[in-house]
Amino acid sequence: MTAPLLEVSDLSVRFGGDVDALRGVGFALDREESLAVVGESGAGKSTLAHCIVGLIQPPEAAGSVRLNGEELIGASAATLRSVRWRLVAIALQGAPFNPVVPVIDQVAEPLREHGGLSSSRARRRADDLARESLLDPALLRRFPHQLAGGERRKATLAMALALDPAVVILDEPAAGLDPATGRELLDRVHELRRARGFSLIAISHDLPAVARLCERTIVLYAGEVAEAGPTEHVIGRPAHPYTWALVNSYPVTSTTKDLRPIRGEPPDPRAVPSGCPFHPRCTQSETICRDRHPPLERSGGRLVACHFGGLKVLLSATLVHKAFHSGSRRLDALQAVSLTVREGESVGVVGPSGSGKTTLARVIAGDLSPDRGEVILEGERLARSWRRDARALSRRVQLVRQDPWDALSPRLTVAELVREPLDIAGAGDQQRRSAVRARLESVGLPGYGTFLEARVHELSGGQLQRIALARAIAARPKLLVADEPTSMLDASEQARLLVVLRELQVEMGLGLVLVSHDLALVRKVTDRIVVLDAGRVAEEGSSAAVSGRPRSLAARRLMEAARAFAVGDERGASERASGGGTN
Amino acid sequence: MASYVVVVFFLITLNFFLPRALPGAPISALDDPRSETYVGDESSRIAVENYYGLDRQLGDQYTTYLEDLVQGDLGTSIRFNAPVTEVLGDRLPWTLLLVGTALALATGVGMVAGVHSGWRRGRRADKGLLALFLAIDNFPVFFLASIAVFVFAVKLGVFPLSGARTPFSESSGVLAEIADVAYHLALPATVLALQFAAFQYLVMRASMVGELESDYLVLGRAKGLGDRALKYRYAARNALLPSLTVAGLQVGVAVTAAIFVETAFAYPGVGRLMFESVADRDYPVMQGCFLLLSVAVVTANFVVELAYRRLDPRTSP
Repeated sequence: MTAPLLEVSDLSVRFGGDVDALRGVGFALDREESLAVVGESGAGKSTLAHCIVGLIQPPEAAGSVRLNGEELIGASAATLRSVRWRLVAIALQGAPFNPVVPVIDQVAEPLREHGGLSSSRARRRADDLARESLLDPALLRRFPHQLAGGERRKATLAMALALDPAVVILDEPAAGLDPATGRELLDRVHELRRARGFSLIAISHDLPAVARLCERTIVLYAGEVAEAGPTEHVIGRPAHPYTWALVNSYPVTSTTKDLRPIRGEPPDPRAVPSGCPFHPRCTQSETICRDRHPPLERSGGRLVACHFGGLKVLLSATLVHKAFHSGSRRLDALQAVSLTVREGESVGVVGPSGSGKTTLARVIAGDLSPDRGEVILEGERLARSWRRDARALSRRVQLVRQDPWDALSPRLTVAELVREPLDIAGAGDQQRRSAVRARLESVGLPGYGTFLEARVHELSGGQLQRIALARAIAARPKLLVADEPTSMLDASEQARLLVVLRELQVEMGLGLVLVSHDLALVRKVTDRIVVLDAGRVAEEGSSAAVSGRPRSLAARRLMEAARAFAVGDERGASERASGGGTN
Repeated sequence: MASYVVVVFFLITLNFFLPRALPGAPISALDDPRSETYVGDESSRIAVENYYGLDRQLGDQYTTYLEDLVQGDLGTSIRFNAPVTEVLGDRLPWTLLLVGTALALATGVGMVAGVHSGWRRGRRADKGLLALFLAIDNFPVFFLASIAVFVFAVKLGVFPLSGARTPFSESSGVLAEIADVAYHLALPATVLALQFAAFQYLVMRASMVGELESDYLVLGRAKGLGDRALKYRYAARNALLPSLTVAGLQVGVAVTAAIFVETAFAYPGVGRLMFESVADRDYPVMQGCFLLLSVAVVTANFVVELAYRRLDPRTSP
């Protein structure tokens, strides 16, 4: 087994004595492999790139960067010169050039300096390289300031390829370019990599751009590797809470869900939090996260630096069966239904009436016991029991029922209804009062005055639904199972409530199971959708896939019935003409 | 280009009016009974005024001035009683020699030291050079000149006290004459050069330091270029641009500084002539000197601009 082409181990960089840019980063890259390095601004991505070209040296840098067996950290100037551009070439962020020298001479410079080519031959070669990089060679004659952003980046690519290096590093290759140009450039990089067989390191805060380009991805956070592995795992099914949050904050067409920011602020590199650096922003952090630094360990086909091996599973229901008997008739409401909800995830359960949605909601909320199969909540079996720990566990999941008149006691006032879960949890009096007010206001109801004294029969259906939701979230549950929670609300009120739920997900990592027959609504709120039909799972997939390309008959029907503003588009016009509106 | 014509015309006009805005008049000495050159006879005084055209309207004098200027006539010196062009012609070569030598020397030394110092920012060489040039820069030029005269001419006697040539010397060949001129030039030129070099050094060092952090330099290093290539082809080449502006500006400053240095060394150049003509209110000579100075500054700026266009591609469209 030979050593990999590039091996970075325990690499740390500290600037100015107190700014930690990198902290113990390690990875390996073999020939013809491609690696994406992603993370927020300031995560240490560019610093890492600079280290691989030997631009950062002791005393700032410590650890090891071995390229083709040669150690670059602490290497002599002669060694570095022999490695640079011949073995590893970098396209720096922002595609800088010497402003007073024509671009062609800068592209040709390595050919002259290292390749020993004559000036005219180097220039001819530079023209070829430009063509390979989709840049008109005539543009090379210009000065750097005369080129557009995309042209400069292509010129940078041409320059990087000049000496046919084994490793090419692209730092923010498509930043600031229009999507079409950026895509063209990245596609070209992909083709060139195939043709020339170089290893690629693409660095970007633009996840979708580099994810397409690279087979493997490492996620940096606060100068550390948070997650590393095959791109399809890391980006496709993130395990680390940070990766998950990062992926959720990108506006991409591969999800229909609304954007969610990452809570909190990126860490100050002068004072990186103790333990797991992500713990102050992580919704599932526990004491251990603050106290102990998590090792980078194998979990689910990738490496994850998390004490819990990545996102916790909030709920897992496996092969749940439930049947109702009325006399001699037996109705199979659920048959072998499985459902998983992870930290901060939201899962939609859709299906036609009578498909078992409500039964599933009640089973996973612990309101009904399954006949067969099991429901595990936060690692513990959910059982109907009066034991204290069982009751504490069941408070972690809250059910918002379809019919608020059914769910809310007519004898209690609004204040008492919202307050009840807090009473059970045993919070302080002052705390309860302010919590009641905050919860009511967060669902768009007045948190003061006579409204608090109102009773169920005095309120509208929409108000009651909001009170039911306020009551459910008052106990700060970890999982919310909501069965048609907005059926009686106006569209604008509904939108507002969904924003509240989204914020709770960002802030508390709330897991959400949204039961509805309204696919148009569900796809905006959920990451995944489970389609039920006659008590069985007809289809399961990402919300984009289920709503965009439904495979099951039930999903197709629901999608066809889903609302759309069919104004001004041809389909809508023809439907109106034939008398069949979409709404 | 057109803007330069406008600027030159503006300067020519200013050049006419400024001396006349000064208190006193060139022949006021003739009016003063306490003066040695007092002319008692009223009609003689009027004749003198009339001879120099000082009795005419200001507008009239201005048009005559412009007309004469076009013909290359700068008027007649009141003090030397000779054409101004002739007076200037005698002095100009010495100033050109002095200022030219000083500027060339200063730009060379200042730039080389600045590049080196900036490249090795914070090291010992940089600290030493910085302290040295800061000290020089903070000495007024006349003070530096006086010290030089005192130490090297008066005390040590290694350089001549004044003048541009040994007076009344028998010419013993061209080489000896050149040596004599250089011998007289050495001290004033060095003083002037030190002053300019200090400023040029500071600017060059600062712009060099500014380039050290630039991305293209990181690129050059990543490309595996050697230290020399990075220092000169990358950093210095870009840092050169502000220095060029400084060199252009210094042409103007140089003529002014030459007033002090030439006076201190009794060097027969335009600077000293300017000083004397102001003292004597010799309007035509003053105008001639100022005109020369202005044209020199404007020309220097023009040359800098041309050089900029060649050196910095960003300035041309």
